[in-house]
Amino acid sequence: MALAREVYQAFEDIVGNRNISEDIGVCETYRSIPSQTSAHYGPSKEWTPLPQAVILPGSTEEVQNIVKICNKYGIEFKAGSTFWATMAYIGGDNAVQLDMRRMKSIEIDAKNMAAVVEPFAIAGTIQAEAMKVGLNVQIPGVGCSSSTLASSSGWAGFGPASIFMGANPENLLGAEWVLPNGEILRTGSLGSGDGWFCGEGPGPSTRGILRGIFGPAGSMGVCTKIATRLHPWPGPKQFRTYGKAPAYKADFGDNFKCYTLCYPDWESWARSVQYFHESDVLYIGHRQFNMFGRNLKAFMLNIITDPEKQLSDLPELLKDPEIQKHNDNMKHDYQVVIAGMTKRDMEYKEKAIDYILEQTGGWKHEMMLEKEKHDYALAYMTRLGHKNLNYVMCGAYEGTFGLSGNVWKTIQVVEEASAQKRKWETEHTCIAATGGDSAMGGVSSLGGGGATGWEFFTNFDSYELESVQGTSDMVDENQAFHNKYAFGPDFCRWNSDVRHVNGYSYTQEEHDEMFAKAPQPWIYAYQYKIREAVNPNHLCGSYLRTLSPGKLEGK
Amino acid sequence: MESLKKKLVGIVGARNVIDNRDVLDSYSKDESFATPMKPWFVVKPENAAQVKELVKSARETETPLVPVSSGAPHFKGDTVPSVPQSVIVDLSGMNKIISVNRQQRMAVIEPGVTYDQLQEALAKEGMTLAVSLRPRANKSVLTSVLEMEPRLNCIHQFNYTEPLRCSEVTFGDGNQIYTGEAGNGPKDLQTQWDLGKWQVMSNGPNMMDFLRMVMQAQGSMGIVTWVSLKCELLPSIHKMYLVPAKKSVDLEDFLYKVVRVRFSDKQFIMNKACLASLLADSKEDIAKLKSELPAWVSAVGISGDILLPEMKVSAQEQDIADFAQDCGLQFLSSLPGATGEEVLARSIGTCEGKHWKQTAKGAFQDIFFITTLDKTSVFINAMYELAIEAGYPTEDLGVYIQPQHMGTSVHLEFSLPYDPENTKEAKMVKALYTVASEKMSSLGGYYARPYDIWANIQLKKDAQSYKVLQDLKGIFDPSNIMNTGKLTLK
Ligand SMILES: Cc1cc2nc3c(=O)[nH]c(=O)nc-3n(C[C@H](O)[C@H](O)[C@H](O)COP(=O)(O)OP(=O)(O)OC[C@H]3O[C@@H](n4cnc5c(N)ncnc54)[C@H](O)[C@@H]3O)c2cc1C
Repeated sequence: MALAREVYQAFEDIVGNRNISEDIGVCETYRSIPSQTSAHYGPSKEWTPLPQAVILPGSTEEVQNIVKICNKYGIEFKAGSTFWATMAYIGGDNAVQLDMRRMKSIEIDAKNMAAVVEPFAIAGTIQAEAMKVGLNVQIPGVGCSSSTLASSSGWAGFGPASIFMGANPENLLGAEWVLPNGEILRTGSLGSGDGWFCGEGPGPSTRGILRGIFGPAGSMGVCTKIATRLHPWPGPKQFRTYGKAPAYKADFGDNFKCYTLCYPDWESWARSVQYFHESDVLYIGHRQFNMFGRNLKAFMLNIITDPEKQLSDLPELLKDPEIQKHNDNMKHDYQVVIAGMTKRDMEYKEKAIDYILEQTGGWKHEMMLEKEKHDYALAYMTRLGHKNLNYVMCGAYEGTFGLSGNVWKTIQVVEEASAQKRKWETEHTCIAATGGDSAMGGVSSLGGGGATGWEFFTNFDSYELESVQGTSDMVDENQAFHNKYAFGPDFCRWNSDVRHVNGYSYTQEEHDEMFAKAPQPWIYAYQYKIREAVNPNHLCGSYLRTLSPGKLEGK
Repeated sequence: MESLKKKLVGIVGARNVIDNRDVLDSYSKDESFATPMKPWFVVKPENAAQVKELVKSARETETPLVPVSSGAPHFKGDTVPSVPQSVIVDLSGMNKIISVNRQQRMAVIEPGVTYDQLQEALAKEGMTLAVSLRPRANKSVLTSVLEMEPRLNCIHQFNYTEPLRCSEVTFGDGNQIYTGEAGNGPKDLQTQWDLGKWQVMSNGPNMMDFLRMVMQAQGSMGIVTWVSLKCELLPSIHKMYLVPAKKSVDLEDFLYKVVRVRFSDKQFIMNKACLASLLADSKEDIAKLKSELPAWVSAVGISGDILLPEMKVSAQEQDIADFAQDCGLQFLSSLPGATGEEVLARSIGTCEGKHWKQTAKGAFQDIFFITTLDKTSVFINAMYELAIEAGYPTEDLGVYIQPQHMGTSVHLEFSLPYDPENTKEAKMVKALYTVASEKMSSLGGYYARPYDIWANIQLKKDAQSYKVLQDLKGIFDPSNIMNTGKLTLK
């Protein structure tokens, strides 16, 4: 079903013919597996619907005009900035895809530690600009090629540095939105033209309807500009790396250290995390390299830090007793970066780490103190530019479980979850056998600590149906585990209640059926009412969880 | 009126429905210039279920409700009814500390809990709550955080709403939900705790954030019956240093340096009139202090708790002293007229009875808004000019600059003490307040918390936000019963 000519023409009149396409070859590239990100591969055999056209707006005004046309003709639309999220892709047949890549400006207010950025300003570029003036930006785990605007206003946004830099919704200062009805809303001090410094108020914050725990996932129109808070960077003005690709390394000087901290058991691990939550010691904290699995991580670290080595060297390396010892030593671990704002601050932070290790019986992992490994891990954690490594094992991966929130609760179940995954690794051939525990995630997903979030990396082959099916079966079992402990949906099933497995939106009736059973259903009824106020024509798909209030009235 | 009373008695019991003239009088006005208006009743609910019933019943009878949690005196006009036939919902009797959890550093409290009450309970567990500047002893902690009164420490303000996390709200439509992470679970705190959930994450619960519907709302959206709060560890060493300057602008670079690297645990700037009022207990002492204190002072607190406190404090002391020196300033533990210790104790402690700003002349009017530190001198100069023009004694004008949200913005507060018995002076201050409020807005001052006349000034500048706010008001308070008349254009 192609767009009517007059509609296509109306869009073209807004952006010019170079910035719109209905070429099937172009449109096909704007489809994603209907997983929860476009790069967590499902496991799924389907694709999101094909857009009728792809449009590249170049300004807020163009976005507004496009949205008005969509309202006039009843066409659904969805904006994506860097498209790592499946939520950036449309969910119906009569829909156009907005790709925000033409809007990418960055302005930095160094004094007040803020950057005003457009949708396609990616975190890596913002970071490079910020570092020139002694500042840094929080990069979510998705990596440095993701849009900071998208993770601030659209979706998720926590990462390894969140303990020091907060999650991106916490960093959001002000935002400019084209609402689904075509009106422009500027939040906080921006609305009255007073500047970008405060995203809240006047009075109750309208940002509340644009960003919750996760964000509206493209269902509340198009965000065209935000201000994000920046954070101190006591390192060099340029992120210089050394070493051969892909094993880049960085040495930022004596006031930066990256350690892999290890503990004898989960209890002492959690106590150390609590110490870090209660202090201002860490710059970055993440259980990162466990993504390769408990049985393989030290071996994989020997491969990825050495440009001469590759995955096929793994079987040989596995015979090395020295590395095996290193591997055994890093069972309950995480990586940290400390950054000294001054010499004295660095001395204090070093001593604080030693103190925490002393109190918890922990140690710094010896192998990770070797200069090259240290510098590799430091570059990795600071820039998050090595996302290719998520895929090296089998070409595709998915995150499962997603033990999140209270760290003390997590440690009670992590071994049980690991054993459950290990069973699938050893009794089936659908996923890579990496050691059961492949849990990775932040030491905190909130600024200042308080909550962790872990996904178990699961490597599978998205080109082999058996592998896809097997992984999916395993997730079914993991979901039962999650239900047992009231952990909510499994990490990779997050959006099963907002989009059909075939990538299409739910109808209101289907959503009513689901959310009437929610423990606090009025939350969904309010979301319905707010949608009616700003999106009367329902043009942005079903990612917004809504419940017809009529289903609750009288209850 | 009688039938309304009957309904109210049916919900909260006869002893909790008050129509005594004197009591109604006391709720009909505050210490601001807000026009007095007598409520019909004062009701004192004892639990959230009663609050919910009250709101539902008020919806049916179209009775305006004004929620109040702190004890008098009030200063911003927000608790004075704007329309006749209102019912005051006084929540000060709901004063339970529902939980304190050291492991999670979280506390859950009801609206009537005061700072002293909470700090005492937290101290027993080795914790404390980040405070706003010298709150009144009977100030409700819940309303203080809900109305975003700025905290003395901006560098732990990861989220704008810190230390406020989750809440229980009865919206004006009579429905009650939990906000934040708590909204995702069963609507029962004990069940959530049993599941290991401690109401930690503030955003949400879902794609939208309903806490932001009630924050800074002056009770115009709903009634909050508990909040969860992120607590800090109780310092084992706590010091405050003072950095004097002739002009506020001389302190800007210094404060930027301190805040940027996230040293210190409290940081603000005051002029001598403000600092003298904070420290002194009598008019005479204020006058004396004003003659001794430097024109401007930046106060910087440093603390250590359980993690090598001596080393941390010593490192920051030396580093911050170096920053001061780099800026040509002195970093002192005391000044003529004030020691750091006194400033610390007064700023974090509560004040009994009257507000500390009333000591100077008996009454005061504040003007506060948000801006950035580098712009503060523009507002300060303009305010002094306006004061001179109005004939207001500039030596009495208090100025307080509080960095917030990790220093990305500041709360700038002017205080105009006056003698309420002196009609001429009161009139002059009222006029100055009106003119200066307009002027600050025209210079880019942002009234994020738009009390009284600021609502009109701020909302007029932002038609689209106003429209969306009206839409939201229509959703959450469809019968317009919640603190009717607040946050609307006139
Ligand atoms: C390998 C990998 C690792 C990940 N790790 C993490 C992690 O550690 N932490 C974390 O928080 N997340 C993580 N994610 C999820 C990821 O954060 C989100 O996918 C990402 O934040 C959003 O993707 P994006 O930045 O490319 O934005 P997009 O995919 O472009 O958009 C994300 C959402 O925001 C909406 N959106 C985008 N632009 C706009 C706009 N201009 N206006 C309105 N709405 C818009 C989209 O519709 C979509 O719903 C990971 C994803 C991958 C693939």
